[in-house]
Formats: sequence, C-alpha cells, structure tokens
Amino acid sequence: MSVAVTTSGAAPRAVWRRGILASRKGRWGFGILTGLALIAIFAPLLAPHDPNAIDATRILAKPSLPHPFGSDDLGRDVLSRVIFAYRVSLAVAVGSTLLAFLVGVPLGLYAGYHGGWVDTAIMRPIDMVLALPAMLLAVALIAIIGPGSNISALAIAVIYMPILARVVRSSTLVVVSQTYIEAARARGTRSRRIITRHVLPNAIGPAIVQATILMGFALQIEAALSFLGLGAQPPTSSLGVMLADGRNVLTQAPWVEVFPGLAIAITVLAFNFFGDGLRSRLDPAGVTE
Amino acid sequence: MSDLLALEHVDVGFATEDGRVSAVSDVSLSVSEGEIFGLVGESGCGKTTLAMALMGLLPTTAHVAGSVRFQGLELLGLPPDELRKLRGDRISMIFQDPMTSLDPTFPVGEQVAETITAHRDVNDARAKERALELLGDVGIPEHERRFGDAPHRLSGGMRQRVVIATALANEPALVLADEPTTALDVTIQAQVLDLLRDLRTRLQTTIVLITHDLGVVAQICDRVGVMYAGQLVEVAPVSEIFRSPRHPYTQALLAALPTQQQVPGSLRVIPGRVPNLADPPPGCRFSTRCPYVMDVCATVPPLAHETDEHLIACWLSEATNQAGRPDHATAGGAA
Amino acid sequence: MSQILSSNEVAPVRPGGPILQVDALVKHFPTDRGLMASGAVVHAVDSIDLEIHPGEVLAVVGESGSGKSTLARCVLRLIDPTSGRIVFDGRDVTGMKGRQLAGFRQQVQPVFQDPFSSIDPRWRVGRSVAETLDAFSIGTKAERQERVVDLLDRVGLDPSFARRRPHELSGGQRQRVGIAAALAPEPRLIVADEPVSALDVSVQAQVLNLLADLQRDLGLAILFVAHDLAVVEHISHRTAVMYLGKIVETGPTERVFRDPRHPYTKALLEAIPHPDPERRLVGSVLEGEIPSPIAPPSGCRFRTRCPVAIDRCAVEEPEMTLFGTGHTAACHVARAELEASAG
Repeated sequence: MSVAVTTSGAAPRAVWRRGILASRKGRWGFGILTGLALIAIFAPLLAPHDPNAIDATRILAKPSLPHPFGSDDLGRDVLSRVIFAYRVSLAVAVGSTLLAFLVGVPLGLYAGYHGGWVDTAIMRPIDMVLALPAMLLAVALIAIIGPGSNISALAIAVIYMPILARVVRSSTLVVVSQTYIEAARARGTRSRRIITRHVLPNAIGPAIVQATILMGFALQIEAALSFLGLGAQPPTSSLGVMLADGRNVLTQAPWVEVFPGLAIAITVLAFNFFGDGLRSRLDPAGVTE
Repeated sequence: MSDLLALEHVDVGFATEDGRVSAVSDVSLSVSEGEIFGLVGESGCGKTTLAMALMGLLPTTAHVAGSVRFQGLELLGLPPDELRKLRGDRISMIFQDPMTSLDPTFPVGEQVAETITAHRDVNDARAKERALELLGDVGIPEHERRFGDAPHRLSGGMRQRVVIATALANEPALVLADEPTTALDVTIQAQVLDLLRDLRTRLQTTIVLITHDLGVVAQICDRVGVMYAGQLVEVAPVSEIFRSPRHPYTQALLAALPTQQQVPGSLRVIPGRVPNLADPPPGCRFSTRCPYVMDVCATVPPLAHETDEHLIACWLSEATNQAGRPDHATAGGAA
Repeated sequence: MSQILSSNEVAPVRPGGPILQVDALVKHFPTDRGLMASGAVVHAVDSIDLEIHPGEVLAVVGESGSGKSTLARCVLRLIDPTSGRIVFDGRDVTGMKGRQLAGFRQQVQPVFQDPFSSIDPRWRVGRSVAETLDAFSIGTKAERQERVVDLLDRVGLDPSFARRRPHELSGGQRQRVGIAAALAPEPRLIVADEPVSALDVSVQAQVLNLLADLQRDLGLAILFVAHDLAVVEHISHRTAVMYLGKIVETGPTERVFRDPRHPYTKALLEAIPHPDPERRLVGSVLEGEIPSPIAPPSGCRFRTRCPVAIDRCAVEEPEMTLFGTGHTAACHVARAELEASAG
C-alpha cells in the first residue's frame, strides 16, 4: 500500500531534498520563485530609479543601459515600476491565496470529517459560490465594497476558498475511511485531536499543491482586475495597472506593455513548476513501501 | 501423462530504485496434462510473478530469463501478439478479485461470449448459446435469467463462477488460477473448490493453482510446489507434502498452522523476516531463518529428486548433495 | 425430565459476573438516506445476547454479512445501536457520553484487521503506541516514554522501533504495534476484529501466540471476531456462531467444534479446507448463497440453505435451546431431536 507523504510531514527536510528538489521542474520553480520573492522584498534597494519620478525628457524612451526596460509615457523608468508593481501584485496573490487557504482548509476538513448535516451545511453554500463565474463574483464584490489592492485580494480569496475547501474535503474523506481514524476514536482520542493530529496532516497535501498553483493564477486575476480599474489605485501600481497603461502606447513603445506581461508569465510558470514538483512528491505512486 | 508446461531456470527481476529485485530465481518445474498443480507460498514469494511471467503480463520493468515451454511452444520471447492470441484461448487465468476482473458495465453473459468471439470465428448467436451453456456448467442458478445481469447484481461467489466460465470459454489446455477463493466466504469457497475439481474431472483441464492457503492446496491439488523468497524449495505429491515435508521451510510453514491440539501461545513460528529481494542472501534464501543452517547453504542448493516424485532443494538432502556435486551437475527440476 | 431452557430463563447475572454483557442488541442501517429514502434497512445485527467473563476469549465467527463486525463496532461504541444494551462491568454504557465514555474507552481497546491502514502512516511508532496515554494525559511525558518501551518489549519489538515509521515495518510488526497501542491504557477487554486474517501463515502464528500470551499473563478478556475457524478453535474459550445478524449457536469452543447442533455450524465446520489431503471434503457442501440482510428470510434465517429445514422453520423463529453447560443453539430440528432423546 502506498501512502501520501506531504511537505507538512514530520521530516520536511528529507521531503524537500528527495521530493520537490529532486525533480527538475521543482528545482526551476523553486529557484525562480526564490529570486522573484527576493526582488519583491528588496524592491527599494533593487530599483535603479524612483518608480514615480517623472522625466519629461525621457517620454517613451527605448530601453538603454541606464533604463534597461525603457520609459513610459510620463518618462518613468519601466524597470523600477515593474519591480514595485510586482511587489504589490505578489503580495495580493500570496495574501489572497493564504486567506483562502486559512478559511477553506478548516471548512473542508470539518465538512469531510463530520459528514452528514455538517457537511451539507458547509458545502452547499460553498458549492453555490463555486457555481458563480469567478470574474463576475470578483467584480460584483468590488462594486459593493469599492476598488483597491486589498479588496481585490479579498475578492480573489472568495473565489479560491471554495476550491480549496472542496479539495480538502475530498482528501479528508479518503483519510477518514482509514482504520487508524476509527482506531483513534475507539482509543478515546477526542474529535478535535483526531482532526488536528491525524486528519489534517494526512489530508492537507493536495490542498498545498492546489494553493501553490492557484497563487500563480492569482497574479493573473489581480492583473485582470487592475486592468479593469478595479484593483490597485494610483499612486500604487500593480502589474495589471501597468498593463492597462501600456495598452495605450503599445504600438509606439511595446516595452511598456511587454515587461510587466513577462513578469506575470514567468511567475505563473514558476508557481506551476513548483506545484508540479510538490505533486510528484504527493503522488501515491511516488512513495513505495 | 505428458508435460503440458515446462519451466526451466526461470528468473524474473525488476528494476527498481533500490536496485534489481530478484523476484523469481532459477525456478524449474513441470506440470502434467490434466493435473491440478498447487504453487504455494507466503506473500512476496514470487508465485504470482511467476504466473504473470508465463502469461507475458509483467510490466516492462521486469526482466525475464530462462525457458517456459507450453505444449512444446517456447513462450518467452514470443511476440506480444502471439501471446495475446494464446491468452484466453489455450491458456486462461482466474484472478483473486472477481469484481475487478469483470467489466462492471457489461452483462456477464456478454463477457463470456466476448471471450469466445475474440478467439473463435463464430457468429454472435452461436457465441451466446455457448456462453449460456458455460454459465450453466459453472453452476449459476437460473443462468438464462442471469445472462443479462451486470456483475454488481451477482454475489461474490456467483461472480467468481462467471470468471471461471470466462476462463473456460475456449476450452483452454491450461488455467492459471491466482488465489481464486481467497476473497470468498468459507462455504462459498467450498462450492468453488468443488466446481474446480469437477471441471478438471469433466474437461481434463490442467490447473495451476496459486495460493497461500495450505488448506486449499490439501483440498484440491495433486502436486504442490513450495516457493520461498523467489526460490522453488520443494515439489511433491500433495499427500507427501503434508505427511512428510522435507524442506525446513515447508516443515515450518505447516507447523505454524493453528490447531486445536496446541496450547494457545505455543504455535511454532519462523524467526526473522523474509529477506529483502533487492539484496538476497547468497545461496539458499531460507538460510537466514533456517534452524539447520550450515556453511554450504551459501551456495544455491539445486532442486533434486529425492524420490521419483519428491524434489527438494536443501543441502540436508542427500539428493541435493548428489546433484550439487560438480561431477553430477545436472541441476534439474522436471518431474 | 426435559433439560431444555430457553435463554431468557437462564439465571440472572451473578455478582462479579461478566465483564461485558450485550442484551438484545439490534443495529439496523438505512440502505439509503435523504429525501428519496425507501425506508429499507439492513438488518446487520438483530437481537443479540452475549457475555464475556474476565480473562475469557470469546470468538464470534461468521461469514460476510453475518454482522460480526457491526457487533464489534457497537461494543467499541463506534456506532450507536438501534436498540438494546451494552453493559460493561455492571454499568450500562450504551448511552454514555463525555468523560464517562472516555473512561470506558480506556478499558475497552480495539485491535483491527488491516495492519497497513490501522496506524497513521505519518506517525512514528512510539507516538502511535502512546496515543491513548497522550489523549488522556496519563502520567508524565517521561513516564509515557518509559511505558512505550515496556509495551514494545511486551509485544516483542525492540525499543528502537519507537523511532521508526510504519512504512519501515512488515505487516506482522505493524500488527504488534497495534496491539501495543491497545495495551497502553491497561484495558480489561480487547475487541479484536479479524486481527490475523491479513497476515501470512507464519506471521499469523506469531501474532496468535502473542495474543494468547498477553491474554493469559494480563488476564485480558478478548472479543475475537474472525472468519477463520482454525484460528478460532485454537485461541478461544467460547465461540458464538453468527448468521445473518443472529447468533445461531454458542458454547464452549470444544463443544461447538466437536458437537455442533445448529445445521449452519455443521456446514461451516464441514466447509473448512483442512490442511490434510486425507480429509478432503467431497460433495455435501452447503448450497446457495447468503440471503440479503435487507430482507432476511422469515422464521429461521438459515432455512433457505438448510439441508434439514422443516415447515415450522419458515413461520416460527427458533429459540435458543440449552444443549449442555453453556452450549445453546437456535434450531427447531435440533430441539426436537433433543426432546425426543430426553423422552
């Protein structure tokens, strides 16, 4: 019989070494994400110029040595702007997914563990949210609360939460059917303890993989919302805001549009690679006894 | 009686992360026409792997060497297409789990008929007629009504009867039955064993029965081969295996069976564990647990004739010693 | 004079009597749930009475659908019975909750069939063994660790096993871990559901020896649920034979095996594939299939397969009849034979 072993296991270091980093995709994903995270964290140190400094002499200037990504329609340095915008976008992506994870995982866990009416009570509303088109939901939410990067993070979390809850619920159902859960109950272990000590560690793996991949796509949703003017508001800039701005000058100065787009593409790809690396570790076939 | 199936020096290895696992090592044996031959051993002894090797059903990570002759035809190295034609026709198989060996969406009668049309040039009506006959033969009550039922509507015992009917569809010369009664209740098991015995008498089908259950072996087999950790350690007529087992492993296995005569807690146990087949001990693989282990056990003991019908691979045996000497180097197994 | 006693005339429980007493236990499962439910129920366990005395091994045998595992799960309080009582050590535990239930759980521990799914694959062995001790905070941490070492030793595993993970262990070793975990809170009753049926013969012998030793040394009572009659005959003091949710025969194991009275018990014993080519079973196998527990036959549930069934069997459910000390069976035919011989 094979058993899923996940990163949250008791030997995380071994899992990293033998698992995620053993696959080439996992290594690439991990490497790129580390680099991008460092860029986001140290943005003020890395950006060569003030991202908001307007320079009338450099309007739509081509990429050059001091300004490798060129300048935009206000003469602002595109590289510096991408770095700062990336910081906002990544924060939204990570924050939203984390929020969805923290809410969705417990819900899926309780629904799957208790079953019956508890399951129905938790999952029916979640299914209803899941049935709505994601973008529509986000736009409606922002229409009610108002735009901003925090609000778009919340909107993305609302879209993601049901997905993660579903994933956790289904893996929980598998774990709960194992005899060691029944054994724990018969031994007198309390439900809460069974959930936290047995069910959660054994059921959370697929949700971690899913969340990783969703995190990449959150960047796209954030961009789409910002593109529509529903995301980050000036003076804050995000990659989506940059895409929206760059669209107007696409023919004269494609670099204004291309570099933020590339940043999104690379990040989504890196999250996907990393997720695949995690998945291969989680795949029951990958662990033989 | 002539040999229907003859295995010579069959080796099966699997390439794994931990290196090459030697699942079957140098197995030689023969099965005569019309007999029920039991291949018995505990989990991991290689009995199922051996059967899969004969059928050409092992994954590509497996490496098979040696010779398997069926009705004089060499099976190892036969093109996959030729093997496929043999399977379900002249050789068929019965698996342990009757649920997973039937297609859940298909009426059971159709599944039997399909096996016939796959190998025989007959029209559907004739195949159906024959399938119906077979369902009756294997003792399915109201088989005409049952013909159109999906597998899930049948009980486990009935499903296994359908599987047996499928296996017999083309009157095969050889049936490989892998734990055919293990998933069944004891009263149903008795019925299925009865059926297998009856079919052998009626159709003269040769059956190789693979099982861990010594009770089942005693009930229906004519001859028995005992496997341990990939090696064939003893071959004998069933009465001799139970009356005078010669190999220390066979002896230990029989002694471990619970009986009422023994005081609870006093069952004989075999100390230690089955060796890791990625790194098996040299020579006799039972040597690590054997109470009679000697220095010579580090050399593989050949399977040799103790009597005409009783073969044993153990250095305690005079026959093995004779066969093992270089001047008598005719390590053999055919009975 | 007739010696026949029906079970409800048997003398009341003597003081210091059974450690576990099951009275008229019934468990029905709905076949489907929700709005479309048909109201059909599976009669998994139907009005079962049994007792286990301290230090006794009671085997419950039966084929699939007999309800033996449902019975075990009711006794472990993993599922709630539809009706009936479970009395442990003189106290009705059927409706117990909270702290009282926790106290009961410490005294009644399970051993399960599948050694691969019955311990958490992610937990180190020591943690699994100590699960009950941790759950109830029994002793200090150091004491618990010490106890784990003792327990591993008790079941024949080296203390170093505490650090190992389940995937490094063989099936037999895992089953030992399961037994050690069950022993941790010093229970008085072990409910073992097919504890050796997933194991190879040679490993099965080791685990049976271990259970027998523990039972003797610790004076444990064991409810031993199994389908393998050879195992049951070897290890149990008393045997109860179940068929379709009912106990059809019960008595001292030797009596039940040597002198079975119920036709089902006889058929079951005859169907054993004896590991002896001289004792081949020819013909005379029980025909037919186990009927559906959703609509069990009227009267005696075995009558549809019974070789000696009479008309009365279809209309009247047979009562338990006493055939000897502690040996009862529920069969009209056997009862009539007994009455005839008693004059």
